[in-house]
Amino acid sequence: MDFKTTVFFFLSAILIFAGLRVITARNPVHAVLHLILAFFTSAGLWLLLQAEFLAMVLVMVYIGAVMVLFLFVVMMLDINLDQLRQGFWKYLPLGAVIGILIAIEMGMVLGSRYFQVLDSEVPGVAANASNTRELGALLSTDYVYPFELAAVVLLVAIVAAVALTFRGPKKTRYTDPAAQIRVKAADRVRVVKMPVEKQD
Amino acid sequence: MFNDFVAPSLYPAAPEIFLLFMACVILLVDLGVKSPRRTLTFVLTQLTLLGCAAITLLTSNTEVVYTFSGMFVDDMMADLLKLLVYGAVMLALFYSREYIQDRQAIPKGEYFVLALLATLGMLVMISANHFLTLYLGLEMMSLSLYAMVALNRESAISTEAAMKYFILGALASGLLLYGMSMIYGATGSLEITEVGERLYTYSVDKSVLVFGIVFLVAGLAFKLGVVPFHMWVPDVYHGAPTSVTLFIAAAPKLAAFAIVMRLLVSGLITQAADWQGMLIVLSVLSMGIGNLVAIAQTNIKRMLAYSAISHMGFMLLGIVTGVVGGDARFALNAYSSAMFYVVTYVLTTLAGFGLIMMLTRAGFESDELDDFKGLNKRSPWFAAMMMFVMLSMAGIPFFVGFFAKFSVLQAVVAAGYYWLAVAAVLFSLVGAFYYLRVVKLMYFDEPKIQEPIEGPLFIKVLVSANGLAVAALGLFPQFLMSLCAYALMRSLT
Amino acid sequence: MLENYFPILMFILVGLAIGVLPVLMGWLLAPSRPDSEKLSPYECGFEAFEDARMKFDVRYYLIAIIFILFDLEIAFLFPWATVFKDIVASEPMRFFGFIEVAIFLTIILVGDAYAWAKGALDWE
Repeated sequence: MDFKTTVFFFLSAILIFAGLRVITARNPVHAVLHLILAFFTSAGLWLLLQAEFLAMVLVMVYIGAVMVLFLFVVMMLDINLDQLRQGFWKYLPLGAVIGILIAIEMGMVLGSRYFQVLDSEVPGVAANASNTRELGALLSTDYVYPFELAAVVLLVAIVAAVALTFRGPKKTRYTDPAAQIRVKAADRVRVVKMPVEKQD
Repeated sequence: MFNDFVAPSLYPAAPEIFLLFMACVILLVDLGVKSPRRTLTFVLTQLTLLGCAAITLLTSNTEVVYTFSGMFVDDMMADLLKLLVYGAVMLALFYSREYIQDRQAIPKGEYFVLALLATLGMLVMISANHFLTLYLGLEMMSLSLYAMVALNRESAISTEAAMKYFILGALASGLLLYGMSMIYGATGSLEITEVGERLYTYSVDKSVLVFGIVFLVAGLAFKLGVVPFHMWVPDVYHGAPTSVTLFIAAAPKLAAFAIVMRLLVSGLITQAADWQGMLIVLSVLSMGIGNLVAIAQTNIKRMLAYSAISHMGFMLLGIVTGVVGGDARFALNAYSSAMFYVVTYVLTTLAGFGLIMMLTRAGFESDELDDFKGLNKRSPWFAAMMMFVMLSMAGIPFFVGFFAKFSVLQAVVAAGYYWLAVAAVLFSLVGAFYYLRVVKLMYFDEPKIQEPIEGPLFIKVLVSANGLAVAALGLFPQFLMSLCAYALMRSLT
Repeated sequence: MLENYFPILMFILVGLAIGVLPVLMGWLLAPSRPDSEKLSPYECGFEAFEDARMKFDVRYYLIAIIFILFDLEIAFLFPWATVFKDIVASEPMRFFGFIEVAIFLTIILVGDAYAWAKGALDWE
């Protein structure tokens, strides 16, 4: 077993542990944190497959942004743990049957002829070759149209997010120090002149 | 590294570029518009669509042009479908103006911008010649539509509809992508015409390819809303604000037709025997379940949703019968009949939902069948228009729906699928029942509500013109039919 | 190619060790005699009033969504940045390579300007 295989098994073990904890953790925040660990280790696995850009994007986009959103959502929803556990034993038999069926199907598919590991070696890559650069070259020449379309899809997402969640500026009262300093006595006190009234 | 680089020609994509530019401008201009009616935003939106139509007409030619390294195709079919999309979107926005005005919770500016961005997505889909651009166009359209369904934030039913639409739409996109990746695995190309050529020239791994086609067809069926992938259609049609239902029911069908043509006919025509079988099942199930379940509906939006399912099933018959046993003699006839079917369906459904929206007021949706009772006593003219729409959808001669059904059936018979033609006719007869029930409610029942129909004169004229077009095209279908046939003849080689 | 990433692996392992070892040592070596008073949460001498968890404001969500979008934008710009030198060096690509990214950024910026002007980024 060479060094690469050792790293692979090390990362895979952590990945499986983290994946199991995601579905068994009682506290949803712990589940999200384990999902982060799972993403991080799968980024390591992708790196072993020499997909460096994908590994980087997984760390940057999924761990950096998507999981932050997950955490916000979990904290925003304030999930009641006991309610979540209700009916676990009632649904277990059905879930178990489906799970076993899927496992058998996966076994059959992976055992079939089309999914066998090829005998040929993965072509060697030079030490300074970079698939990020290759991607960059393609993205800015042949794939310029999908590149711009992706920007438009992001624009749609911004507009939709703002239109759906933004409910106008909140009418909260807050102090504005600049206005406090700028204020003059005349703004605060109004001197009213009126004739002296006789007391009856 | 880049020394043999040649910049792509932007000329064929001019309508898309103009639309994107204007959508950005309108998004920013709307920030400064303070009036609640948003007249400036609305006028700019309509002018943009008009400008796009002008650009499409000016840049149109009879040749098939590729650009962006073969990812973008501009042919006659694309030009015709794009012009129809502009028309459908313009009509939909005109009809929805008063409706969204009456509903405070809907953000007006974003409504128009999202509509424009959805239109841009449709244009990208129509002109896609690459799996990637097709998918991006689809997502652009779908994301805008999900947001539009949810725009009425005070309505729980709209939010629920948007949620269902989003989750099932995402699932469908996943299926489509999975199918595309399988086909890429089998052929080694993402470019649709290139896939077609490779399938023609080389022998590929059949089982991986068929696996991919299954997922592709399932994804397309989701987007078209045909049985058994139709679950989202009734809920979305029912839950969305009526103006958005109208939007979803009209223009996206044209784009969906375009991607079916691009993927199945341009890309996978050599595998026609594989996907035709699947489409036959989808089509018969859709016509059956769509028409039968529509009878049980009490809400007209739900009823029209099931009717849409059955119509999409009927349209698929035209796609199924293009190639029979490697014989492509009737291909042009079959595909143009399907195209004619979609175009006329979009026209009819626009008029139908336009009329439903004329009957609404603030706080009253008028989407129950009972709301149509005695419409004749309230407004004989609009009752007649609604009757035209219903009769056309039922396929009664001599409305345009009849010729659409007739030309598809002709293609089915020419292809030799007699049992399929018989099934289609039988299910259409079932469908006639619920369309005629609406006519009966309008003419023979006492009205629940006595108020006359209000609305701006211009919209009344527009809806009337739309309804009359349904009748007039039934009398003179030849022009549109030959236009569809000509566009397809120039595009399919 | 992978050998370039060996220092990073080492870095992660060392970082992991520095993070995990003290905790592990504390757990193993430190005396631990808990009782119920020691384990109860301390809140200025009072009994704890409520759970430490509280609901987040919905406005975080909008900020997080917009953050994701800009993060994705960076993911698109990164590959372009790696070939930037080659783009500048080649005559036919120089102008195009600049314009395409300018358009990309402008489209995103329009969305940003919209969110900003709308007040969606204000916190108050």
